[in-house]
Amino acid sequence: MIYALIAILSVALVALIAWPLVSGRVPADPDTAEQALQVAEDDLSRSLDAIREIDMDHRAGNLSDADFAELDREERARAVELMHRRDALRDEGSAS
Amino acid sequence: MSLFGRAALLLAFLAALYAVGAALWSRRPGQQRFMVSAERAVYGVAGVTTVAVFTMWTALVTDQFDIADVAGYSSRSLGTNYKITALWGSQAGSLLLWAWLLSLATALVVLTNRRRNRELLPVVIAVLMGVAVFFTSILSFITSPFATLSPVPLDGRGLNPLLQNIYMQSHPPLLYIGYVGLSVPFAFAIAALVTRRLDTAWITSVRRWTILSWMFLGIGIILGSRWAYEELGWGGYWAWDPVENAALMPWLVATAFLHSVMVQERRGMLKIWNMVLVTLTFSLALFGTFLTRSGILSSVHAFGESTLGPYFLGLIVLVLVGAFALLITRLPLLRSQSSLESYVSREAVFLYNNLLLVGLAFAVFWGTIFPVLSEAVRGDKITVGQGFFDQVAGPIGLALLFLTGVGPLIPWRKASGAELRRRFGLPVIVALIVVIPALMVSSDGGHWWAAAALVLAAFTLTAIASEFWRGMKVRHQLGGVSWPGAVGQLFVRNRRRYGGYIVHVGIVLVIVGIACQGAFSSQGDLALAKGQHGTVSGYTFINEGGTRARNDHKMSVGVALGVYDGPDRIATLNPGVDVFLAQMQRSSEVAIDSTPFRDVYVVLVGLTPDGVARISVFINPMMMWIWVGGIIIALGALVAVWPSRRSRAPASIAPGADGAAQA
Repeated sequence: MIYALIAILSVALVALIAWPLVSGRVPADPDTAEQALQVAEDDLSRSLDAIREIDMDHRAGNLSDADFAELDREERARAVELMHRRDALRDEGSAS
Repeated sequence: MSLFGRAALLLAFLAALYAVGAALWSRRPGQQRFMVSAERAVYGVAGVTTVAVFTMWTALVTDQFDIADVAGYSSRSLGTNYKITALWGSQAGSLLLWAWLLSLATALVVLTNRRRNRELLPVVIAVLMGVAVFFTSILSFITSPFATLSPVPLDGRGLNPLLQNIYMQSHPPLLYIGYVGLSVPFAFAIAALVTRRLDTAWITSVRRWTILSWMFLGIGIILGSRWAYEELGWGGYWAWDPVENAALMPWLVATAFLHSVMVQERRGMLKIWNMVLVTLTFSLALFGTFLTRSGILSSVHAFGESTLGPYFLGLIVLVLVGAFALLITRLPLLRSQSSLESYVSREAVFLYNNLLLVGLAFAVFWGTIFPVLSEAVRGDKITVGQGFFDQVAGPIGLALLFLTGVGPLIPWRKASGAELRRRFGLPVIVALIVVIPALMVSSDGGHWWAAAALVLAAFTLTAIASEFWRGMKVRHQLGGVSWPGAVGQLFVRNRRRYGGYIVHVGIVLVIVGIACQGAFSSQGDLALAKGQHGTVSGYTFINEGGTRARNDHKMSVGVALGVYDGPDRIATLNPGVDVFLAQMQRSSEVAIDSTPFRDVYVVLVGLTPDGVARISVFINPMMMWIWVGGIIIALGALVAVWPSRRSRAPASIAPGADGAAQA
């Protein structure tokens, strides 16, 4: 009984692992363009979070007007740059 | 059953070994099917390791005493709940728990990364399954939890009585979840180094893993302290014991990592430092298991002897050498994108906090291993006393408490003097108000550091409360929402930040509890015949009669004590002593009356045949806040990791400071 259970467990494990190798289905290589797009969108999302946080800090009185103006301008410039990068990657993706 | 368990572990070892090879091979062009196979191997390892664990549980619950670990750590009279937890009572069982949790964590990583981090994942799988190979090989070839005995004993020796405690049922698995969880950020860091994808993607991917692992490790430490407090009967909860230190060190470095990743995410700085921290954290998690399992240092928390030390040491050396060698080859890719603009900025505060946390971890490490080093160099083991740790941890803890208050008050990049004066005004005023009463309560005995802790706690709590108030005010004004709605919006819109503040509140409460217990606790011994009374620190104790009992499992003695504060009866406490017959081991049953202001903690030292009870009484102020603080830390961490409803970035940016910058 124990030997039968061990045999079933072993066969099930081998079948689980080996199936992708013997089934003949070849998955595509990872889409690097899609990943680059994902990174750009994540960076943009963080940058927009940063803009909101700077705004919140300013409204809450944590930042002087001068500091806020400088930080906000820089972060927005970065966000715009990231948007351009994201759009370029999207265009590349749709073209290919 | 033994054979089945061994077979399951051997299959886990082979599948993990295959997963490492297949995952690495899949990085070659056109070999993607090996990645799919490796992912399935990960699921397979999780499956067969689960089978091994359930086989062991079945053996424990059904008293299969032919298995050495069942005979050594369980018995027929042991309750089913303790039979379940006896799994991690033995060395091999605790390593099986490690391997099981690691296999489940790896399966979860694969499951949650089916559509992202595809370039990193082969290396992530190789690293995590490499660690699984280490554990399953030890379990298969060196110390098996399914090793058998002959002849088979009629009954087992039972679980160590000290481990028959609710906190010890949950403390080891929680610590191990923390240790195992910290292997995931390490695996992603190595994958980022190998694939040269050193942007912030790997950090974003492991943020929740890191916070949750840190939280579980922290809860494990707190529960271990609670166990020591209730079970060891010495009135304290933390003795800088090597095994306690072993859990604290990775927690400290992980705390530093959690703060420094924010600097990398926000400013593109500290990239090398973060790699170093994540490697150190994982190495210290392994070191924790090594310390507990090697037997090189004696500990009240170590319940097994072992010869596994060299294997763990080998793995730690491999991890450190491999990770740092890889890091050195990638240094040019890890340059900071910006530099520190001011020493008075949030990133600078994070840097100071990192230096203090890592410095404290190093001091604890040094104090922990010094006996081993002294024995190796001079031939005699010199133990480092609690005084060393207290002297180091006290000032660093106070400095960290100060930075916990300062951090939220200082913006990123830089802060002007006028802003700082305005922001620091209220917290400083509150702290100054607390100075006088703090000095008054601490002057007796010269506990100035405790006074400093109370003052800094007031400063920090006010700083955090001000942050909440300012945020609520803005939300209230902006959105026209009610005040409770404004609080809700704070958490919805920035769970990480405000969850972090809740964690800080918990940390402050824990430090207040530690400081007050350390400075203001008092102790007294009494010998009371029946009906007699005695007083310790203003509390009167009356012996209301002893009890004696015996069953197949243990002999117990106890005493009923009426406790009075002045004329008021405040509690009836029943401290006792159990002697477990199977092990002939003595265990104190401590009695505690707990309020938010103090614990009355009584240990029965002995009960003479004529009914004289000898008791030790400890009055521990503010103890409850250590445990409450722990709960608040866990809640804050959960808030910080709770998934946000916000998904993708919006297509445009609202007008900014200069009214421009739409995209």
